[in-house]
Amino acid sequence: MTVNITSGLDPFLDPIDRILAEIAFSIQLPPSLHAKAVGRYEAVRKHLEASAAFQDDIEHFYPQGSMAIDATISTRGTDDEYDIDIIAQLGGAFHNMQPLDVLSELENALYGYRGLTVKRQSRCVTLEYADNMHLDISPVVRDYGYKDRQSRIMHAKGPHYSSEDSRVPTNAYAFVEWFKSRTPNETRVRDAFQKRWLNDTRFRADAEVDDVPDQTHFGAKNMATLALQLIKRYRNIRYSDPRRTGRMPPSVMLAYYAALTSRPGQRLADALIGICSAIIVDIAVSSGAGQMLHVANPEYSSDVFTDRWPENIAQQDLFARDLNELVTGLNHLRSGNADLTKMPGWLREMFGERVVSNVIDRIAKEKGSAIQMSNQSYTNRGGLLVAAPTLVTPAVAKTPPVIQPSPHTFFGDAP
Amino acid sequence: MTGWLPISLREHDLEIKKDWPSFRTMLFDPRHQCATWRGELHPQINIYTVEIEYSMKQLIDGPKVRVISPSLVRCPGNNEGSLPHMYDRDTDPYLCLFDPRAREWTGWMSISKKIIPWTIDWLACYEDWLLTGVWHGGGRHVTTFSGMHFDLEAHQ
Repeated sequence: MTVNITSGLDPFLDPIDRILAEIAFSIQLPPSLHAKAVGRYEAVRKHLEASAAFQDDIEHFYPQGSMAIDATISTRGTDDEYDIDIIAQLGGAFHNMQPLDVLSELENALYGYRGLTVKRQSRCVTLEYADNMHLDISPVVRDYGYKDRQSRIMHAKGPHYSSEDSRVPTNAYAFVEWFKSRTPNETRVRDAFQKRWLNDTRFRADAEVDDVPDQTHFGAKNMATLALQLIKRYRNIRYSDPRRTGRMPPSVMLAYYAALTSRPGQRLADALIGICSAIIVDIAVSSGAGQMLHVANPEYSSDVFTDRWPENIAQQDLFARDLNELVTGLNHLRSGNADLTKMPGWLREMFGERVVSNVIDRIAKEKGSAIQMSNQSYTNRGGLLVAAPTLVTPAVAKTPPVIQPSPHTFFGDAP
Repeated sequence: MTGWLPISLREHDLEIKKDWPSFRTMLFDPRHQCATWRGELHPQINIYTVEIEYSMKQLIDGPKVRVISPSLVRCPGNNEGSLPHMYDRDTDPYLCLFDPRAREWTGWMSISKKIIPWTIDWLACYEDWLLTGVWHGGGRHVTTFSGMHFDLEAHQ
């Protein structure tokens, strides 16, 4: 007998969560592009394995960071650029090479690959595709004898050797496993997003297939990951301001807090506020002690997530103020007495002009259409529901079934 | 419409309080055949206190539903008017939830199962109107009025 245990809440039912979920839906890596990214990094691996420099020396080639935890969103303030992070675990002679040499070797091996632009960064080599997808390949060497995939990532700014060149301790793989263990699948979130993607014309247009393949990857499967996508989006918007210089708070640090504060069955707005609040508190404690925030990989303390940000206390205080602003706004939205004329402007400021405008319009049209077609339902607290009845949550199930929608025509005096 | 007689005030009163726990009877006057109920609705984002005024003289016109709090926000210059789908917008505004000419509601129908859900619909559309500037719930406006004859202008 198959037991199907449901968990979590449908993020498209609560009105505030629905707005946030639609924003997350709009910015996350579409399933079609996820499949494309997987195909691309598998092709890159084959290309490298066929090269003289890397033949037999690629021990593992796997997604890390956002790609590994389904938290990929569009880059910076854009709506259609995606960075995909890949770890290339190298063996053989690479163990004894200088970090700059390893990065240069990788750059050279990828030079001319499919006519793509290749850029060497301080810790990775980036392949830039014409559709604005970027593949960041970070070379690491394994620390044998230690926990699985504990490694050192090559760090060298180049173009010349420097005393700052180093092999930075990392275990992206163990962190991903830790993240997943703390953010289990919530079936209602997973199903709601799968349904949302399948209903989306963009997916069908992108995929150019009649049937969705069984193995299609639909992305976020719990509220914590959705909240992580939203806080990353907010950070991207804030740090796309040209007046802000320097690095922005790292995604992996935000992912750490998302998993740390994850609670089963939480609402999306609660998850988002929970992440923000935890960071705000930790920054306040650090700044109060005159120290910079220190966040390390919970599976490997030498893997310090905050090694490049913040550079000073002012930077972390600035981010804490950003987060405070977001929390204050969300709490106002949920107060039951929000100024709705100002809400769209605030949301656009937080999550981006185009995305928010589209989301608000889309929700209003869907709701209006449901009302006109009498597809809505009601809670006995006077709430309106327009979601599919199959996804109704236990709280919603309290709706008195005797109250059915009925057709009516809004009337009234001429404008 | 299930019987010869319209639904009585007492029947409306019992049904409203059974279906909507936040509603209370503010006035119940059998002698003058009128009643007023007040309750809270939370259709989408904000919470509203609404009041429903009804008398047996309103079997065709229907109950008057007013939003007591918060004050409804007006948007002068909007295509729908400063406050859409209302009667007496500038004096004693109350919601226009149905087309009386089409008999979408009469005194033989339930306030609890028609008027209150339609009020929730109205409030949800009102919120989206504030957010987008567009009324997405459809409807019609009265363009001229003479006696009981409405001249309707299709809207949306």
